Amino acid sequence: MFDYILRRLVYTLITIFAVASILFVLFRMLPGDPTMQVISPAMDPAVQLRMKEAFGLNEPIWAQYLIYMKNLVTLEWGRSFVSAQEVTDILSYRFWNTILLMAAGMCMTLVLGIGMGIIMAWKRNSALDIGGTIVGLVFQAAPPFITGLLLLMVLSYRLGLFPTGGMYPAGQRPDGIIELLLMPEFWHRIVLPTLTVGMYYISTPMLIMRDSMLEVLGSDFIELARAKGLKPRVVMFKHAARNALLGVVTLAGIMIGFAVGGQVVVEALFSWPGMGQLMVESAASHDYPVAQGTFLMLAILVITLNFFTDVLYSYLDPRIKITAKGVN
Amino acid sequence: MTKTATPEPLLSIRNLGVVYSTSQGPVHAVSNISFDVHANEVFGIAGESGCGKSTLIRSLLRLLPDNGRMDAGLCQYKGQDLTAMSDEAFRKNILWQEISLVPQSAMASFNPVHRVGDQIIESILAHRDISRAEARERSAGLFDVVGLQSDLMNSYPHEFSGGMRQRAMIAMSLSLDPGLIIMDEPTTGLDVLVQERILRRIREIRAEIKSSIILITHDIAVIAEMSDRIAIMYGGEVMEQATAVDMFENPHHPYTLGLKNAFPSIRDIGSELISIPGSPPTLVGPLTSCPFAPRCPFNLDTCHQANPESINIGTSHQVRCIRTADAKQFRKLAREKSTWRS
Repeated sequence: MFDYILRRLVYTLITIFAVASILFVLFRMLPGDPTMQVISPAMDPAVQLRMKEAFGLNEPIWAQYLIYMKNLVTLEWGRSFVSAQEVTDILSYRFWNTILLMAAGMCMTLVLGIGMGIIMAWKRNSALDIGGTIVGLVFQAAPPFITGLLLLMVLSYRLGLFPTGGMYPAGQRPDGIIELLLMPEFWHRIVLPTLTVGMYYISTPMLIMRDSMLEVLGSDFIELARAKGLKPRVVMFKHAARNALLGVVTLAGIMIGFAVGGQVVVEALFSWPGMGQLMVESAASHDYPVAQGTFLMLAILVITLNFFTDVLYSYLDPRIKITAKGVN
Repeated sequence: MTKTATPEPLLSIRNLGVVYSTSQGPVHAVSNISFDVHANEVFGIAGESGCGKSTLIRSLLRLLPDNGRMDAGLCQYKGQDLTAMSDEAFRKNILWQEISLVPQSAMASFNPVHRVGDQIIESILAHRDISRAEARERSAGLFDVVGLQSDLMNSYPHEFSGGMRQRAMIAMSLSLDPGLIIMDEPTTGLDVLVQERILRRIREIRAEIKSSIILITHDIAVIAEMSDRIAIMYGGEVMEQATAVDMFENPHHPYTLGLKNAFPSIRDIGSELISIPGSPPTLVGPLTSCPFAPRCPFNLDTCHQANPESINIGTSHQVRCIRTADAKQFRKLAREKSTWRS
């Protein structure tokens, strides 16, 4: 187990390193000279040269790469071209906002989806099963910017049940995350974006769970569990759901990646001050240090979550340890 | 081995039938099954794949799939009518507590994500009001009985070999001292040496416990070695039922003769194996003729017209065949390969 986790951890670090390198290349391939934002062409050429030297831009590309890597590791992620704030400061605030919304969305998706999947498999071919499948597929077919807009239109503008966006009322910026979590206005505002994310993603874990439940329910060990005279509930959860969960966990890792992408749309739609929104803003205003930081941060988030999925999987499936030994 | 039949059988089954509703129509997987299992007895049920052995067990344990329906003239265990019992009462009082199962595939019958020991402990705690520690101790004792070290209880099923899993399965079937253990092909899929060891272990356990066993297998040799009485199944019905000695010294049904041919004894080295040509019936719709008639080398026109009743030809020997009078002649003919050419 420990061996396996350690190996996964090393792979995770390698992946993050690779993503950082790709970002370095990517941002140097972007059209337009990023330095234009800071170094005005109207300046004296000598001054321009001095400034380039100061930024290390006259160094050969590999030296620039080394500086870039060193800065990443030492958390010198630069300053915003727009607001001159430290990128790390901006990100540390935005990061938690994104995490909160994602956690709410994923909780709804996974808990509700898995629960529904179990019940649907249990009551196979019932109205609940068929209805659940149809509703799930309809939700999945509707992109979040449509469902989000519809929710806003009906529940906010028409019925006035929920605020139209933001994370807290204007002018009441909370001091730190604890204070934010204690604000009822925050919980009021997180409902709609969570619903939007949840509705879009819920069908995947729900249908996968249902299918793998049905598959597991046909296996010999379920028949034996029944023959043992265990309560139907115990057979369903301890034996069937526990095994069916393996399929969903594998999938959750992949889904999280997509969910981060969807996050960008939802944050923009509900003016949620998270990294998704930041990504859109910084790209639009050519704020390269911020954009670069946001991309990297989101990538690290996805990779880290995948790492945790792998660890969880190895906990859920005792056979994985053998596999890990078999690989190397 | 031989035990005089107690007046009150442990399990009494009369006219049990199972029908599956399928898209091709009702499939009568099992019909007209009647037998008794007495206390402290091994009752063997033999037959080829698809003869209804597994369906029979599933119906006894109420594990039939949704499209299967069982009805029985009588299904009595220790004097209680099982068919009248609610599912909940059956689960609580009969399953595992009274009738346990050694399933066909021990390989796949342990849940892969739980420790083997925990799965045995679970079967005890589901029915007994004792502490987990006591249940663990009991499981360790059972591991000892089947010849497994008790520290293996902490292993996962994938860490066990096929033979070890089968032993653990047998240990689990003993966990509540049931009155009856159903062993469904307990040695299938194991190599011959492991098979022999498992069988020896079952025999040793038999000497210690009081449970009766229903042993189900397609392996005539295993059944001959282990059983007190034997039923031969074909096409969902019992073709012949007799004591083990009677079945092998005085077989009457042509199918029994054919089945015996298919399993050579060690003395028959060099002789050619004789198999029964054709394949088992599909069992769609009720039987209107002897199910074996199409493959039977001794069939008459009447065999195709009506399904014969089971007739008594001895105190505890029943045959479902209209030509029992010619059995002596059949036995001689059945040994020749030319007889079985269709």
